[in-house]
Amino acid sequence: MAARTEQDEQTGTPVPAQAPVPARRRRGRVAGAVSVFGELLITAGLILGLFVVYSLWWTNVLADRDADKQGNEVRDRWASGPGALDTKDGIGFLHVPAMRNGEVLVKKGTDPKSLNRGVAGYYTDPVESALPSDKQGNFSLAAHRDGHGAKFHNIDKLKDGDTIVFETKDTWYVYKVYAKLPETSKYNVDVLKPVPKESGKKKPGRYITLTTCTPVYTSEHRYIVWGELERTEKVDAKRTPPAELR
Amino acid sequence: MYGWIWRHLPGNAWVRAMISLVLILAVVYALFQHVFPWAEPLLPFNDVTVDGGSGR
Repeated sequence: MAARTEQDEQTGTPVPAQAPVPARRRRGRVAGAVSVFGELLITAGLILGLFVVYSLWWTNVLADRDADKQGNEVRDRWASGPGALDTKDGIGFLHVPAMRNGEVLVKKGTDPKSLNRGVAGYYTDPVESALPSDKQGNFSLAAHRDGHGAKFHNIDKLKDGDTIVFETKDTWYVYKVYAKLPETSKYNVDVLKPVPKESGKKKPGRYITLTTCTPVYTSEHRYIVWGELERTEKVDAKRTPPAELR
Repeated sequence: MYGWIWRHLPGNAWVRAMISLVLILAVVYALFQHVFPWAEPLLPFNDVTVDGGSGR
């Protein structure tokens, strides 16, 4: 604004003679400041909009790509002969038909850096998770509800009796959902205990716990789903999935 | 602000438009690549674990 006024004066464009120059300058400067302020507000709005695009779309693109790669590595290793349980690169895949999200690689730990790569993690802290192969205990998992692969986005679609299948190198573990907690405090670490009392269980058993944040797009609270092991199946040569996944 | 940038770009309107486009893309790239990944953990939108307050 101010620049154009100066230019007009320099190039001698007709300026109303009666307008005193200092007043025009001052008004020009105020108008300039207001317009810069307005442009900054518009810019801030655009940046916030882009941040939404980033969190809900772009992180999914990156995480899904990353998770596919990590999953393929695990499958390659499984195909290349025997080997003990390898907790470094992922211990297996979670299949939850009711969530309709394919397979989710499960790795050790719930560190954000790891979860951000589109996988689910089993807890090492504050309550250490059992592994599915353990005689008893609680296999507790966390994954993102939105962004970064959003692997547990549809956790609210799970109902009692739904199947959760965990696939390892040599075994299919078939769990059935028996309880859930649609909203709890993020400090409620009791849900991870070997015998999660809040789910109604009193005796030790082989449980699975899924945790994520709720409501969607925030992390005010946590959403918990519990399942109990129903049976296991040996993996055959063709990796035929259990009946629930077919 | 944007007017000032526009006036200080070289070339005719077409050249300026192309340079503007490149500048916009560069800014968006910087945001997606550096600024947002930095800002995200600081915002309370994506904590998924129960942790007894260890601050994840």
